[in-house]
Amino acid sequence: MDPSEVEFLAEKEFVKIIPNFSLDKIYLIGGDLGPFNPGLPVDVPVWLALNLKQRQKCRILPLEWMDVEKLEEIRELERKEDAFTPAPSPYYMELTKLLLNHASDNIPKADEIRTLVKDIWDTRIAKLRLSADSFIRQQEAHAQLDNLTLMEINTIREFLLDSLNCMYKLRSNLQPGSTKGQFADY
Amino acid sequence: MFITDLRKNFYDVVANQRVALLVAADIDALCACKILQALFHCDQIQYTLVPVTGWQDLSTAFLEHKEQFRYFVLINCGANVDLLEMLQPDDDSIFFICDTHRPVDVVNVYNDTQIKLLIKQDDDLGVPAYDDIFRDDEDGGDSGNESDEGSEPSGKRRRFDEGAIERRIERQRAKREWEARRREILFDYEQYEYHGTSAAMIFFELAWVLTKDTKDMLWWAIIGLTDQWVHDKITHMKYVSDIATMQRHVSRHNHRNEDEENSLSIDCMRISFEYDLRLTLYHHWSLYESICNSYYTACSFKLWTLKGQKKLQEFLADMGLPLRQVKQKFNSMDITIKENLRDVIEESSNKYGMKDIRIQTFGVHFGFKNRFLASDMVHAAAALLESTEKEQNDTTDNFIKALDSLSRNNLDCLKAGIDLAKKKLIAIQQTVASCICTNLILSQGPFLYCYLMEGTPDVKLFSKPLALTLLCKYLLKAFVHSTRNKRCKLLPLIMAAPKDVEKGTVIVVGIPPDSETSDKKNFFGRAFEKAAESTSSRTLHDHFDTSIIELKTEDRSKFLDALITLLS
Repeated sequence: MDPSEVEFLAEKEFVKIIPNFSLDKIYLIGGDLGPFNPGLPVDVPVWLALNLKQRQKCRILPLEWMDVEKLEEIRELERKEDAFTPAPSPYYMELTKLLLNHASDNIPKADEIRTLVKDIWDTRIAKLRLSADSFIRQQEAHAQLDNLTLMEINTIREFLLDSLNCMYKLRSNLQPGSTKGQFADY
Repeated sequence: MFITDLRKNFYDVVANQRVALLVAADIDALCACKILQALFHCDQIQYTLVPVTGWQDLSTAFLEHKEQFRYFVLINCGANVDLLEMLQPDDDSIFFICDTHRPVDVVNVYNDTQIKLLIKQDDDLGVPAYDDIFRDDEDGGDSGNESDEGSEPSGKRRRFDEGAIERRIERQRAKREWEARRREILFDYEQYEYHGTSAAMIFFELAWVLTKDTKDMLWWAIIGLTDQWVHDKITHMKYVSDIATMQRHVSRHNHRNEDEENSLSIDCMRISFEYDLRLTLYHHWSLYESICNSYYTACSFKLWTLKGQKKLQEFLADMGLPLRQVKQKFNSMDITIKENLRDVIEESSNKYGMKDIRIQTFGVHFGFKNRFLASDMVHAAAALLESTEKEQNDTTDNFIKALDSLSRNNLDCLKAGIDLAKKKLIAIQQTVASCICTNLILSQGPFLYCYLMEGTPDVKLFSKPLALTLLCKYLLKAFVHSTRNKRCKLLPLIMAAPKDVEKGTVIVVGIPPDSETSDKKNFFGRAFEKAAESTSSRTLHDHFDTSIIELKTEDRSKFLDALITLLS
């Protein structure tokens, strides 16, 4: 999967905006949105929120987990535990990037939030790498990791699968009678 | 006709239409264009952008696009000439003109259907009243009466005729008087050319009324205003009052966003009012280079003389700035020196006779490294717009590059522009020094005259109108500082430089005399036209500023003689 595909899926999440125009309820395939009234908050998917923000038709309200204290707590928890703690949102990394790139003037303390989210991401990816490393080294048969988000899985997916394939090929070559100096080719 | 409500009569009209944007090649027009483009993007209005450099370009562009477009927006072009006569449009084409050139042609003012002027009426326009210029033709009525009277019986006819003849003579005399007065009024009105409020500011106000104004648009409006000041198009008073208007907007934006707890991300744009030094590009150069190449300091010190150089060294010593620090890039100067630099320089420059070394302006600040003053952006964009780096003068390419350099995310474009601007300023300074030292400026009686020979270094740079106007301004100021002749200090300057070597033409620019209280009104437009007519010189009055023309090199001397006789 491409990271841009993951970002595309992340844009379906809902965020609160305050529009400055009025529009009746709109009926889309994915669901109903609206009605929009100036000054009243309404829930819309992120793709629409960003489009409206770029056309200066709305103001985006920060998500509830995008708060410095909450993120600091999550970061401390993540650093203490060995296993993965529940992420602030299943798409926390993409949402942070999208919202802070396009609407940083609506989100207070944007720089600190960016740093905190990056810290959380780094910690989690380090744990993931460690666990993948031990999985391959000890040649386990199966593993279970809770609370991973799609973006993190996506970063390790290709590498892990490729390396497991290599291991399998190497292992099957060690079986007697299968090869006489023939190496699997890829 | 003048449009007062920009939103109702302009924006809502073009809201669902396709628009053609014809934009002139100066920085104010570029900024206005950027603001308008941003507004169009918000509301998804389709437009076509056509850069135009002169009247011929404008006509060609109009002919190309008149089939597809009904609405044309002209930025910084078209107000000072009878547009309908020049373009011969169809009856349903509508022109929205936002132009700083004054005087506005009377036909444009009084046309109610096709020409809409996006100009503020409290600018000192001084448009003559309708009845003074236009009046219904009564000739038809007179001749009709005469033919009727011819069929009367002879006795009555004679008496009738006398009364009729007297009335006719009366009417003709009144008409002649009215026409003479009309000619006088029009002559006074159109004699001087000057500039009005920046187009970028007018479009920013439109954005404000639509509550779609952002800091980016505010910054572009500020750049448009600063361009008018850098290229000497508006008076100092007007500049200061426009700065005050912009300051209100800046405080409004800053107040809205800044809060003690919720401070903005460092990447957001911050515009601040600065009472900064008049040293061009000094943040991006070394202080020493900037002092040598800014016209204000160079002319006050007379840096083309040895005495001037010594004075500069004294000045630096007086402020306690070591030469090594001052010749370094500004960003690497010692922080202790940079802290009080402005005050220190102001104090010292007062001693050396430079009273206004500081000027009110605005600066922008985004990211950790990027800090620019409005005048920096103007010089960079102007250098890009008229760059002669590539051999083929592709004006559209340069226009697009200059337009791009104004956006925040094209910083390399802007840096390239700043480098070109530095080269241009150095070239201007060297040319000024050589002209003064070799006495190339001759007093021709009613004006000063200078001709740049073909072999002069960097003469290609000066074949462009903006660069040549800047050179003219600096040269005049330098001349005023270096001459002892009191009368010469009050004369205007005409400058000629080779424009196209194959076609054998020169570009001629005239600027009004240099004085503190000058109202920047330029009479050379009409003077050039009359001189060209009387000597039948081959001239091309193509530029939107009528004081810039192209002339065949051979006709130069007779053109000048005609000008001298005309103006003395």
